[in-house]
Amino acid sequence: MELLLQTLLNGMLSAGVYALVASGLALAVGVVGIVNFAHGEFLMIGAFISYLLFASRGIDPLVSLGVAAVAVFLIGAITYYGLIRPVLSAPELNQMLLTFGLSVLLQNLALLLFGADTRVVSPPYQGSTLSLGGLSFGGVPLAAFVLSVLILLGLYWFLGRTRLGLAVRAVAQNRLAPGLLGIETQRVYLLAFGLSAALAGVAGVMLSVMLYASPTVGFAFTLKAFAIVVMAGLGNLRGVLWAALILALAEALVSTYVPGGGGWVEAVFFLVIFGTLTWRSWRRA
Amino acid sequence: MKLEVHNLSAGYAKAQVLFGLSLEVAEGELVALLGANGAGKTTALRTVSGLIRAWGGSVHLNGQSLAGISAARRAKLGLGHVPEGRQLFPLMPVEENLLLGAAFLAWEHRAAGLEYVYALFPRLRERRGQLAGTLSGGEQQMLAIGRALMGRPRILMVDEPSLGLSPKLAEEVLQTLAQVRSEGMGVLLVEQNVALSLEVADRGYVIEHGSVVLSGSAAELSGNPQVQKAYLAL
Ligand SMILES: Nc1ncnc2c1ncn2[C@@H]1O[C@H](COP(=O)(O)OP(=O)(O)OP(=O)(O)O)[C@@H](O)[C@H]1O
Ligand SMILES: [Mg+2]
Repeated sequence: MELLLQTLLNGMLSAGVYALVASGLALAVGVVGIVNFAHGEFLMIGAFISYLLFASRGIDPLVSLGVAAVAVFLIGAITYYGLIRPVLSAPELNQMLLTFGLSVLLQNLALLLFGADTRVVSPPYQGSTLSLGGLSFGGVPLAAFVLSVLILLGLYWFLGRTRLGLAVRAVAQNRLAPGLLGIETQRVYLLAFGLSAALAGVAGVMLSVMLYASPTVGFAFTLKAFAIVVMAGLGNLRGVLWAALILALAEALVSTYVPGGGGWVEAVFFLVIFGTLTWRSWRRA
Repeated sequence: MKLEVHNLSAGYAKAQVLFGLSLEVAEGELVALLGANGAGKTTALRTVSGLIRAWGGSVHLNGQSLAGISAARRAKLGLGHVPEGRQLFPLMPVEENLLLGAAFLAWEHRAAGLEYVYALFPRLRERRGQLAGTLSGGEQQMLAIGRALMGRPRILMVDEPSLGLSPKLAEEVLQTLAQVRSEGMGVLLVEQNVALSLEVADRGYVIEHGSVVLSGSAAELSGNPQVQKAYLAL
């Protein structure tokens, strides 16, 4: 019983970061309409920003969160302007090839600059644990979970309660009308893609402490984020929260209860995509 | 304020649709734009509002050329466009759809805008919380017009508002357009229902193959044998 509770707790704590990364991807796919295979590379950039600031200046990851949010937002905006915007009306396959190419390019660039080693940011509180009634929390995963929830609340407030957020949701539902209503759609796309990248970048900072920074760290998160977005259904941002929780819990259960589970964890996302698509087509039939 | 379209040409890829189209709409008049299917009415509205690029000719609003100006800027300059197919935000409630029509105005005016639109279309007030995608066809058309009115346009272009509506509802919607005209707005109305639109319009143009072949007051057009034969089935 205790093992089960501990497993579920661990799963829930990872769900926060998953939801952060996947909400970012949902903005790119749902609002801008681009299937961005380089999403995880924004996360990787965030992780390296955290690592570089920590290694060179001893800057705390909490501070790096803000730096990475701004820096990766700008990188996302530049990516949109230079790479995505010109192909927005191109066939989808070409768009995917472009973002896939960008992913490979950024991974190799990081490899060239930093080498293949994994690098961990270890602030003094990295190993701290709290215990509560026989269950133990890592202090860092708990803090990451809380921060993720706060950031997502901020995102929902922005989308639901501000005029600009209203415009972002509008563009996701109809591409033609906003322009006729005086909304500069190109600026909305730019903002949405920048936000999308920044969410991944912030998650990267958290993962630089919980996991590590490395050129390929983002790849698995791209796949998991796609699994979550597929499960949630396109354009369903609230569904992303549930889907992230389901994926994270499934991974935690597999790693605890499946013999040799550690090796299978990274395949759970595939099961989720497969399961969702099969269920949907079965339900429709 | 006046919308002046002069010698406009435009089209899609290599297919030219508009061939030297010229027309004018001033504030306080309701002008009908008539023509057979495929004549280029929708294309004309799209070119004027900046959704597609003009190949040649000019569009002036209030004496200012709109060449190179984005659709969003044109809307801010006072040009409204209720597009073909309504183009609502289906997963948003009625009220959010309306608010988006005023997204570029000073935000404190939004309550007054809502009041104005709800007074014109009381049905929308009743349905303010309902998702736009679940409205009936008539309600969707009211919402599309109401949303455009939220931006306080001086000239409003409306593409086939009566499409899919019962004759009674179509009449109601066109009467509403006649009312906003009386309040001083200029309206350019594209309609399949020629008889009904000539009832409410002050003037009209008939276009064929992307240019004007006939124009005059509503009474002149209703009395014109060609119009009667081609559109009024008399
Ligand atoms: N997006 C498009 N791409 C290519 N051709 C188009 C496009 N839209 C319209 N056309 C063509 O342009 C011509 C004029 O179309 P338009 O929609 O302007 O006509 P219309 O007068 O509005 O007709 P209707 O009364 O049927 O709405 C038609 O031959 C049509 O096939
Ligand atoms: Mg048309």
